[in-house]
Amino acid sequence: MTTIQILSPLPGVFYRRSAPGQPPYKEEGAPVAVDDVIGLVELMKSFHEVKADSAGTVTKFLVDNEEAVVAGQPLAELDG
Amino acid sequence: MLEVLKPGLETTIQDFPGRLGFWEQGFPPSGPFDMWSHRLANALVGNDEHAATLECQFLGPSLRFQRGAVVAVTGADMAPKLDDLSVPLWESFRVRAGQVLSLGPVRIGARSYIAIAGGIDTPPVLGSRATFHMAGVGGMDGYALKAGQVVPIAEAEGTLGCRVPEEFRPEIRAKKEWCIEVVAGPNDDWIDSAGHEMFLSSPWFLQAKSNRTGFRLGGPEWTFSEVATNKRPEHGQDPSNILDHGYPMGAVNLCGQTPIILVVDGPSTGGFINPYTVISAAFWKLAQSCPRDIYRFKAVSLAEAQGRRRHIDAICAQAVSG
Repeated sequence: MTTIQILSPLPGVFYRRSAPGQPPYKEEGAPVAVDDVIGLVELMKSFHEVKADSAGTVTKFLVDNEEAVVAGQPLAELDG
Repeated sequence: MLEVLKPGLETTIQDFPGRLGFWEQGFPPSGPFDMWSHRLANALVGNDEHAATLECQFLGPSLRFQRGAVVAVTGADMAPKLDDLSVPLWESFRVRAGQVLSLGPVRIGARSYIAIAGGIDTPPVLGSRATFHMAGVGGMDGYALKAGQVVPIAEAEGTLGCRVPEEFRPEIRAKKEWCIEVVAGPNDDWIDSAGHEMFLSSPWFLQAKSNRTGFRLGGPEWTFSEVATNKRPEHGQDPSNILDHGYPMGAVNLCGQTPIILVVDGPSTGGFINPYTVISAAFWKLAQSCPRDIYRFKAVSLAEAQGRRRHIDAICAQAVSG
């Protein structure tokens, strides 16, 4: 098992769900496949999907829903 | 010619000062949001300051050069690379035919400018190559770059080995707080003295719902003078409503309780008041800020606003040393 971080591709505001009231894309403990969406980053009036580039299991999210992030910031950790 | 391998996030062709003279028909000026960095990029490669450059936003493009060229990158730090080797910002360098210039996710700032000797040679529309993508005007077929497009470049020898000394560059740091200069008006009389005090003394944060049209801010509540609260009904119900009027570039446009700074691709008219206007010499700071950055506004006189603009003009005219 190795720990893999998913990094934010952009600065902006991180969201764990597709819309208010919707379940999170991924709960901690959930399996993740390559290209699965794990959240959104809002920037320039648009929402940009953040996709996993490795498969594994989400061990934890490193930022909260609606928290501001910078480009390259780790958003979540996977065991893979 | 430049082949677009990856377009980046809304990378557009822009020229300075943009598409002037058509705002009454709804065409904003567009042009480079950070005009300081754009002009210095052109100066570095020996271009006229009006030559078109690429404005890269937050995530840069990857571009293959089909012929050799002299190039410079200024503004935000997107860790530019030529093939696998880093290239410096604020210096002109040679790109050989077949090489790939790539800019990544932004590290410091928000917008980078790529100037190529000769300038981008797309057809001007209403006198400008600037992209106004909401109307599909200018740029590459009216919009931001797309993968697979080939961007025409005019021929020019260029100036190699030029550099902008640090003291002549806009101060783009990883800071999260910016001082933004404003002049009062045109509708400052609609705000009461407590409202003015609140605006000029409070931190305002930049919302992610911001782009080249408007910069939406978050902060405290506004209070209004009797001009706003006791007005003729045709002005509208909300204190921030006014009979439709023209908006100045840089207007701090008050939409209910939300101020939105109208910037380079902004609207020309509407029915909200504009208590303050951001000076043109402060636009580069807006252009280089990221969501959740903090703005503090400082009121300056019109004479100081003009002086600051002349200062940037003077720097852009003489900053490059070879």
